[in-house]
Amino acid sequence: MAKNVFAVQIFFIVFRECLEAVIIISVLLSFLKQSLGGPEQDQVIYKRLVRQVWLGSFAGIVICLIIGGGFIGAFYGLGKDIWSKSEDLWEGIFYLIATIIISFMGLALLRINKMKDKWRVKIAQALAEKSAESTKKTTWLGDWSRRHVMFILPFITTLREGVEAVVFVGGVSLSLPATAFPLPVVCGIIAGLAVGFFIYRGGNLMSIQIFLIASTSVLYLIAAGMFSKSVWSLQYHTFAQRVGSDVAEEGNGPGSYDITETVWHVNCCNPETDNGWDVFNAILGWQNTATYGSVIAYNVYWAFLVLTVSLLIYEEKTGSLPLKNQFLSAMSKVPGLRGWAAKKRANQNSNVNEHEVFRQVQAAGLLRE
Amino acid sequence: MNSFTRAAALFAASLGLASAATVNYDFNITWVTANPDGAFARPVIGINNQWPIPRIEANVGDRIVINVNNQLGNQSTSLHFHGLFMNGTTHMDGPVGVSQCEIPPGHSFKYDFTIDQPGTYWYHSHHNAQYPDGLRGPLIIHDPKFPYRKEVDHELVITLSDWYHDQMQTLLPIFLSKGNPTGAEPVPKAALMNETQNLTLPVEPNKTYMFRVINIGAFAGQYLWIEGHTMRIVEVDGIYTEAAEADMVYISAAQRVSFLLTTKNDTSANFPIVSSMDTTLFDTLPDDLNYNVTGWLTYDSKATLPEPALVDELNPFDDMTLVPYDKMELLPEPDQVVELDVIMDNLRDGKNYAFFNNITYTKPKVPSLYTAMSAGDLADNAAVYGEFTHPFVLKKGEIVQIVVNNLDSGRHPFHLHGHAFQAIHRSEEEAGTFEDENLSESDYPSVPMRRDTLVIWPNGNIVMRFKADNPGVWLFHCHIEWHVASGLLATFVEAPLEIQKQFTIPDDHLAVCDAAGTPSKGNAAANTVDFLDLTGENRAPKTIPGGFTPRGIVALVFSCLTGVLGVVVVAWYGLSTPLELVPLEVTRIVENSEVTETSAAANGDESRAAVSSSNDASGGAISRS
Repeated sequence: MAKNVFAVQIFFIVFRECLEAVIIISVLLSFLKQSLGGPEQDQVIYKRLVRQVWLGSFAGIVICLIIGGGFIGAFYGLGKDIWSKSEDLWEGIFYLIATIIISFMGLALLRINKMKDKWRVKIAQALAEKSAESTKKTTWLGDWSRRHVMFILPFITTLREGVEAVVFVGGVSLSLPATAFPLPVVCGIIAGLAVGFFIYRGGNLMSIQIFLIASTSVLYLIAAGMFSKSVWSLQYHTFAQRVGSDVAEEGNGPGSYDITETVWHVNCCNPETDNGWDVFNAILGWQNTATYGSVIAYNVYWAFLVLTVSLLIYEEKTGSLPLKNQFLSAMSKVPGLRGWAAKKRANQNSNVNEHEVFRQVQAAGLLRE
Repeated sequence: MNSFTRAAALFAASLGLASAATVNYDFNITWVTANPDGAFARPVIGINNQWPIPRIEANVGDRIVINVNNQLGNQSTSLHFHGLFMNGTTHMDGPVGVSQCEIPPGHSFKYDFTIDQPGTYWYHSHHNAQYPDGLRGPLIIHDPKFPYRKEVDHELVITLSDWYHDQMQTLLPIFLSKGNPTGAEPVPKAALMNETQNLTLPVEPNKTYMFRVINIGAFAGQYLWIEGHTMRIVEVDGIYTEAAEADMVYISAAQRVSFLLTTKNDTSANFPIVSSMDTTLFDTLPDDLNYNVTGWLTYDSKATLPEPALVDELNPFDDMTLVPYDKMELLPEPDQVVELDVIMDNLRDGKNYAFFNNITYTKPKVPSLYTAMSAGDLADNAAVYGEFTHPFVLKKGEIVQIVVNNLDSGRHPFHLHGHAFQAIHRSEEEAGTFEDENLSESDYPSVPMRRDTLVIWPNGNIVMRFKADNPGVWLFHCHIEWHVASGLLATFVEAPLEIQKQFTIPDDHLAVCDAAGTPSKGNAAANTVDFLDLTGENRAPKTIPGGFTPRGIVALVFSCLTGVLGVVVVAWYGLSTPLELVPLEVTRIVENSEVTETSAAANGDESRAAVSSSNDASGGAISRS
């Protein structure tokens, strides 16, 4: 079996989380630059705050690296035997988890610019809270956190993104060998830093956008392939259960697959055994045996995605989804979902609050000098 | 009455009289409960409510008449008399779909034939892999002219077999299913000797016993040895041989070996008779399987029955070295060579089948013999028997050579109905095909061993020769019953025009066809008008396509299209500008702060307008950071 040294899904997850962290840090730095970076302002305070941002970032990164290392180490130290026994079953389940994770985070990659604004709002919100606190009675801790807000924000941000990355990478790649980790993680970090830097510098926006679109497309190709593979693995598991241990010995030939479920089978190009085809397997979900289940799953996934994205586009263009209110009011009558529907409705009207926050921030003089 | 005629016949034979007798049997095929291995009581197929089923015994020249009445209630049946040439009575041979229709429950069928050959045979059901359920027993033909007659004091018949706890109708669907793609044969639960275990054979000292050993098992070959005694082989499969000494013999399913054994002078100890199943045939060797069965030569019934000693290696006698007693010379070069490659493979239904040359035997709609009887002059044309019976038409009197190349990694005992063939060559294991070996006529023994069931070694080959002097429809097949079920059979239609002259099909034979709903005229597709039109014949499932089928291409193209469409939609989403990147008012607040820093208050309105327009154009918030 070809040694799996580059898990594409890991690359993209690390890339995305890294990008997000870089954007937050860059937003913070530009805040500082805007508010304190001017020549006539206090350079000492400015440099101290900038240093705080970097310190916070690196502290967060180091801690999340420790957590991540422990997490993955524990996982490989303790857990590996459990799933090696019924490998296909676990592979099916892990692929399913990975598909869900990637599906949710993928589109956000295309709205990375939106993400930047989102973080502006969030950071402003955080600052507004701090300034609101400052008027109250201060505790020692509250005082410390107020003075070190520029340390705490990036610290928490990088820590959060880092742990998120670790959990996602773990979830997506539970079934991968340890050799598949280092390279995509390093590449993901480099790519994330590079793109983040471009965004910060305000370079050619169009080329970044195209890069993001391309990588999101690849991400969804992977996700569709994984969903298909998930169904395939679960089917294969039930087949292998019936056949017994013999099935793995069969290689490519007859008996290595369930012919009555098969849409196509070619006696070659087995991603498990033939070099090169494992790349197609990783990116496009290629199997030399396609079952009805895996083909249908692949197409259903894309259909679902196309529908979701179309709705998103429609919502962005018009500001609302057709039947959204009707749907929500219907949902609010369902006992278990009442809270969820109410929350959704509240969110629809929440923009005003963000504006309010900005006003407060501005009033507190944190965005301006 | 039966026993009387049989006793009379035996008496006559023992006097050396050449008078032929008729031996009558009435066999009611019935279910019986039995527990031969002491581990599990199960229904078995018996005869006249007895199991093990009775031994058929007769003398050379006798006519045997067996009235079979199927009282099983839930299964059809038939009887095949393994090794008997059935010269002139091929319709009494017994395989369903070949020389007769199945005998449905409640129906009767008469087997009526004359035996011209001495030796050790057996009879069993030849329908639907049924005989391992118990319908299997010895058939012994005594011979006043037996060459070793004077040496023999007593005769003993020993059957060896393997035993399953499940019925074949339970095991067959498991074996032949897509859940068993490797075609792993069910492993027996026990080995039996005379359909029991811990058999004791009382013997007297200083006597010579003739053991007639028959493997009536479904699957396993058996290694047999008797501690402290040497065997002198004198007969295999009904062919007398020059006496050959052996310490251990290998007897595959359906083979027979007769040997002389002279007992010791000393009666103080008893000796184990060990039969050990050939475990190389089994895909798995369950921990709880005792693949040995032990019996004892008991000189003294009060003495202990010692445990068998362990053997270091299984080194059985090579039956190819035997020399027939009649010294029949190597038949001349063949007029027809039939080459058969043994392959195991899966078909479109996912099941594992056995093939001779890419054909897995599939039972025709009309028994092949009945096709031969009704086809007139076209009976000479192999096509009328259908592609999937794998027919070979042999001309009367020609020399036929069968070459079997085993492309499978298992041992197979190949059996030919209606003949004992000369086994002129058997390669070593892994020797490849017969062509690979490049043998010539001079490489064959001048007096080859003859028998009717010959084992081929894994990835080796065997070559057999016989003279087509016995008109009939004869199967050639592996005698592992699982492989019969998965299609490792071919049909030899020998001198079909001669068959037509020999007999007409008895009414009771045709009656069971009617009862079973099987047509008794026509070609393999039951077409009685155009015998060359085989539309509708029974066919094996289609082969598995090696690559893409139209269905696969459609699925792949469609998947690619949805993939491309999905990517296009994602890209569209990526390129489309959202209505609100960020609430406009927020942007303005930020802008205002920048504007006031960088430019004069007077120009504020203008620059604000410019900002909003650039914001509308594309992701303006980013470009401003």
